[in-house]
Formats: sequence, structure tokens, C-alpha cells
Amino acid sequence: MNVRAPQPNNVVSQSLAQIGNCGLFLLTLLAAIPRSFRYVRETIRQLWFVGAMSLTIIMVCGLFVGMVLMLQLYHVLSIFGGTSASGMVVALSVYRELGPVVTALLFAGRAGTAVTAEIGLMRATDQIDAMEMMAVDPIAYVATPRFLAGLIAMPLLCCVFCAMAIFGGHLVGVTWLGVDNGTFWSNMTAQVDVHTDIVNGVLLKSLAFGAVVSLIAVFQGFTTPPTSEGVAYATTRTVVASSIAILALDFVLTAFLM
Amino acid sequence: MTQPVRATPDDATLVRVRGLTTVLGGKTIFDALDLDIPRGKITSIMGPSGTGKTTLLKHITGQMRADAGSIHVDGQDVAGLSREQLYKLREGVGYLFQNSALLTDFDVFENVAFPLRQHTKLPEVLIRDLVLMKLQAVGLRGAARLMPNELSGGMARRVALARAIVFDPQLILYDEPFVGLDPVALNQVLKLILTLNQTLGITSVLVSHELAAVQQIADHVILLAKGKVVAQGDPKTIADDGSPWTRQFFGGEADGPIPFRYPAGDYAAELGFAGAAK
Amino acid sequence: MSQPRSSYAVGTGLFIVLGFAALAYLATQTSSVANVHQGDSYVVDAQFTNIGQLKERAPVKIAGVRVGQVQSITLRADHDVADVKLSIDKGYDHIPLDSVATIFTSGLLGDQYVGIEYGSSKQAVAAGGTLARTKSTQPLEEMLGKFFGAGGVVDNVGGSYAVKAGFSNVGTLSAGAPVKMAGVVIGSVQSVHADPVKLNAQVVLSIDKRYNAIPDDSSAAVFTSGLIGSQYVAIQPGGSPEMLKDGDEMILTQSAMQLEDLIGKFLVNGSPSDKKDAGNGSK
Repeated sequence: MNVRAPQPNNVVSQSLAQIGNCGLFLLTLLAAIPRSFRYVRETIRQLWFVGAMSLTIIMVCGLFVGMVLMLQLYHVLSIFGGTSASGMVVALSVYRELGPVVTALLFAGRAGTAVTAEIGLMRATDQIDAMEMMAVDPIAYVATPRFLAGLIAMPLLCCVFCAMAIFGGHLVGVTWLGVDNGTFWSNMTAQVDVHTDIVNGVLLKSLAFGAVVSLIAVFQGFTTPPTSEGVAYATTRTVVASSIAILALDFVLTAFLM
Repeated sequence: MTQPVRATPDDATLVRVRGLTTVLGGKTIFDALDLDIPRGKITSIMGPSGTGKTTLLKHITGQMRADAGSIHVDGQDVAGLSREQLYKLREGVGYLFQNSALLTDFDVFENVAFPLRQHTKLPEVLIRDLVLMKLQAVGLRGAARLMPNELSGGMARRVALARAIVFDPQLILYDEPFVGLDPVALNQVLKLILTLNQTLGITSVLVSHELAAVQQIADHVILLAKGKVVAQGDPKTIADDGSPWTRQFFGGEADGPIPFRYPAGDYAAELGFAGAAK
Repeated sequence: MSQPRSSYAVGTGLFIVLGFAALAYLATQTSSVANVHQGDSYVVDAQFTNIGQLKERAPVKIAGVRVGQVQSITLRADHDVADVKLSIDKGYDHIPLDSVATIFTSGLLGDQYVGIEYGSSKQAVAAGGTLARTKSTQPLEEMLGKFFGAGGVVDNVGGSYAVKAGFSNVGTLSAGAPVKMAGVVIGSVQSVHADPVKLNAQVVLSIDKRYNAIPDDSSAAVFTSGLIGSQYVAIQPGGSPEMLKDGDEMILTQSAMQLEDLIGKFLVNGSPSDKKDAGNGSK
């Protein structure tokens, strides 16, 4: 499959062309979803690579984010004598912002780059062409399963991240700094709203980020020049473009959902 | 399964190219190219680098669309096929890539089994037997559980060949099958191509620069240059036909109809010797 | 065969299970499940003269147990009361008609909720009915003021100009701060500046045209939202038949109370620092 981006001259029109091609690529991906149903196993396999393999980094980072957040909040809140609210603030900031955003950034760095490099390498070694020749549609077999896997994996990873962050916050707050266990949980449960915080915050945001990161990763893999420099460059671009897209989208989503 | 493409056996020509014109990036690759590839033979397509031999193969498989002209494979117009029909056609065509193009995720066995798994619902036992038969044919049954990165270049080429023949195609396209192989591996691949053609009657199209190898096995040689067929015939006669193209190509002369220099402006003027022109 | 395939499937399955387990944990252990689903419910009206910080979807509780949530809060254009619709779970359909709905605050800093105390009537309030007996939220200043016996104290500052009000102390009130009646925003503070002659603060209030039926003897007070919240101007309606018009000045004003002063009073009743208190003494 030859997806070739035209090469306009200046940076602005180049970026616009990238965005435009990316959008068209998304349509191609979505159109291939019915055809990729027969490759469910491939989607599961990608879910393993993209999701399960990212679990370690997500869990460790979630734990530390929760711990450091608790540490900071405890010292700020102790000025006002409000340390009992620290668990609640950890939960809210993790659910609404840090969880989805940090998970997405880590996901872009861990899984996004791997997907781009893998597809780029498959193109460089003619594997994509070989699939075409074996009458296997590379969009349906390679692109869509990876996209779907990212879409499914991100919310799950984000939930794991948030749970680890709460655990980390509890560890530092209750076990170490001596916040009362009961107040920690009761303030949290009183303030966290399933609709605005968990559905809109954790699930919806991470789903959107998962779609954006997977799309960028797969798109970069498919459009990169099939050479070793091309692959290296595309990997970098995946991280840069994903990070910008995640943070910009986060602002937009927050403005809409809050 | 052995006859996926509707055959008209009495037709001696499997691939018929008429008036093929392709322009890529402003450069004319093919200029109203006509050629025929005979059924059941080994046809070698030769020509200087950049004449579009690989492009021609991609036209035959429908991976690239031509700007004008038609290509009929076994009576079907490739350009007029839908995606499904094209995929159906490709199941009857094997393609050996320059760098083997094995799927790096899978081991040798799964690579060969890949087309079977994708297009059939055969029981596992049958897939196993079929794959092992093909691997035995290329002499790599013992390597079934190796990963592609553990294979030498020659072994990878043979695995790719096993994969290309797993559906018993009636046509195999070899894109530079001998590149980068040591003489032993080269001869192994050469022998396989010949065996496949002779025992199974598979029509083979061979794009290669290895003159000696081609002359050993090819039944028909087509020499391409400047977007046209400049000479064709069996390897013996074509080498002696005395045209400047064949003389240069088979004799390996540096200059001739295929220019040594890329087209450029006046040399003296470009170096700034404007006075020399006066 | 296909060892790797099945192990992928198992690993991926484990991953998905772990993800959903984490989600279930977040949804059940860190938030109240009661917030999740709004089952069958019926709506009851209640009118409050001041809703304070009550927000939509705030809990409605009986004996401290959540039975529903606030569906909507609107200010009735013709009255200075807030119309609060309470959506109550169908399971609790025997609330006596004469029950009292009160706006409570969870702790000092917490959010506000509506508490219902059962009355003695045999008749239950029906869907769409109204709880006639309500108790509004008490602004902190008012409560503290009552406690110290300073509740009714208002500054009587003369002058008769525009839609403005003079305060002897506006605290940290600044332009743009909300103007509320019965706890619902009806306008904003246009400007705050010191009067060079009277040596007090002149505050210009711009009030929404819809609320043109405010008696001209209504009083304006500077309140604080909670303990550490921002300040706003609250209008407490009077009983005069004349209504406030454009350009009028509100005569009855109550200045911002300094928390420090109040606490000081509380701790050392009648300490010398009281003499410096500029804001609360009646003139």
C-alpha cells in the first residue's frame, strides 16, 4: 500500500498537509474496520503488545505520580489545616487531568513509537508489499488492528494508572504522613462523581487520547519513507505530534466536559 | 485450490501487456510497451537499472496502476478488477521480493502458513502437512521453528519461495532473486526455480542481472531499455543478434546506447568557460 | 501448536481483566456508588430564600442518608426566592407533606446539601408537589453575627445617588464580584472606589433588569462564600411598596465582617482591639 504524502514547501502548509493526510488516513482506517473483523486474533495480539506490555511502566509511573502528588498536597494543605482533603484532591486531579494525560504521554512514548517503528520497518523490508501480494489487505491486517488495540488499551491503562496513583497517595498519605484512613476515603468518596470524574475524566479523555496517539503512530509508520533514517525520523515525530495533540485535545475536552 | 485462476490452457500467453505507458515523477518509465510472457516457461526480464523492471512486476500484480495501456493476466484485465477480484487473482500469483520480506513477527513455519491461514479454514493438521511439504521442497523443513532474523540471506530467500508457492500458483514473479547471495546459495535458488518450473509447470518471470544464471535457466529473455522492448528471444540467439543494445548489455560495455553520462548541459559552459563557446 | 498465539490471548485477557478491575475499583471504592445511577425518581419543589452554595446534583438526604439529588435551581422572576427541584428516589415516597427541607453544609468547608426532616403529617408529598416548609442556608457572617448579637446591625450611611451602596468596609470585594439575592446571582459589582469625603467605600451594583421588583428599603451586605471563599454582595429584600429604580442608592448596608475581629471578640470578649473595629459598630 502506497500512502504517499505530497510535499509542499513551507512549514505551515506542510503541517496542514500532514493533518489533512492524517484525517484521510483515519477514514481509510475506519473503512477497513469491517474487513479487519477476520483479523480479531491480530487485534488481540496487538492489544498484548500495545497494552499489556505497557502495563509495567504505567503502573510504576502511576504509583509515583500518586505518591509525589500526595507529598506536595500534604505540605500545601497543612498550611490551611486541610490535610483531610488531600486524598480527595489527589483523586480529583488524577482522574480529571493527570491520569489521562500522563498515561497518554507514556503510551505515546512506549507503544506509539513501537508501532511506528514496527510499521516503518515492515515497509522498509517490503513486508507490507508482501502482504498485498499475498492478498492480505495491509490496512485491515496491520493498521486497523493496531489502531483498535490502542483505542481499547488506553482507557484500561488509564484506569490502572489511576488506581495505582490512589494506592500511591494512600501509601504516602495514610501510611507515612499519618492522614486518617477513614477521612482519606470518605472525603474522596464524597467528592468524586462517577459521571464527571470517572466517565468524563478517566474514560472519555483516555479514549480520545488513545485514538489520537494510535492514529498518529500508525499514520507515521505508513507514510514514512521506507529507509532507516525515515523510520528514525517518524518515530521522533510520533512522540512530538502525539504530545502536542494530547495536550491541545486535553484543553479542548476539559473546556467541553467541565 | 490448485487452480484458482480460470485458465484457458490453449492460450500460450499467460501475461499480455499492450501499450503500457507509465509516468512516475515526470519521468516516463514505459512508453507504449508491448510484451508477452509465455505460459509454462521461464521468462527473464533484463535491462539497465532504472528501466522499471520492478515497476513492471507491480503492474502485473495490480499494485500499481498504469497511466495507459492494458495488462491481461490469464485473460483478465488487471486494471479493471475490483479489490476482491484482484486479491483473488493474487492468490494464484507468487511473488518473491528482493529482500525476501518475511514477516518478522512469525517464525519460518508461520510465515509459510500465513497465506493459508488468511485465505482458508483448513484444519491445523492439513496446514501443518502443507507447510512442511513446501519447506521440504526448499530444503528447510528442519528450520521450521527459526525466526526470520536467525536465517541467512539464502535461507530467507528459500523460505520466501516456499511461502510464494504455498498456494501452488500458476505464475511466480521473482524480483532479483539472486542479489546478495553467495555462489552456493545462488545455485540453490537457481535450482529451485528450475525445479518448480519443470515439475509443476509454473510460469516464472525472472528479473535479474545475473547473466550467467539467466542463461542457464531462462527459456525466453526480454531486454527492456528506455521504456520499450529492445530485444527478445531465447538466451542463445539474443546474445548473438548483434544489435547495439544486446552487444552493450551482454558485453558489459560502459558506454553505448545506454549512456554512461546522465543527460546534462554543456560541460564547458557549466564550468564557467564561457569564452570557450565563442 | 501455536504456542505464542494462545499465550498472547491469555496475557491479553489478563490485561483486560486487570483494566476492568481497576475501573471497578475506581468507580466503587473511590466514589460513592449512589452517585452512579439515577433510578426511578420523582420531583418535589422547595422554595428557599437563600440557597448559598447549593449546586445542581447536590445530594438530598434524609437522616444523613442520600435519597436523591438537586435537579435544578432557578430564581423566580416575580419573587425573591430560589425554586429548587429535588429529584428523590421512588423508594422514598412517604415523605410527610409538612417535612422541612433545610440547606446544610457538610462541615465548615464542605459542599452544601438539602436535608429533609420528617414532619408529622399522615399525607405524603406527591410527585410535582411542594415542600412548603423550608429553612435556607445561613451565610457564615450572619450566623457568626447572630452568635455575637451583631446580626441586625446595619450601617446607615447617608447619600442618595444612582444604583449604588456605601459600605464602611468592603473587605476584599472587587469589581465583577457577584450580587446575589436569596443566594442566586442577579447582577455584579460594577465598581468599588473610596469616597474622598465620606471616607467610605462606594460600590456601584449593576442588577439584572429582570429583578426590578426589589423594595427600596432592601439592604445590601458584603458576604463571604464559605470561610476562605471570595466575597459577594447579598441583597436582603425589605418591605417597602416602592421599588428600587435606576440611580437609587441603597440605604441599608452591612459591611464585610473581618473574621479576625469576630474570632477576636469570641475569644477575648471586649478586648481593647474592639475599639479599632471600624466596620461593625452602629453609628
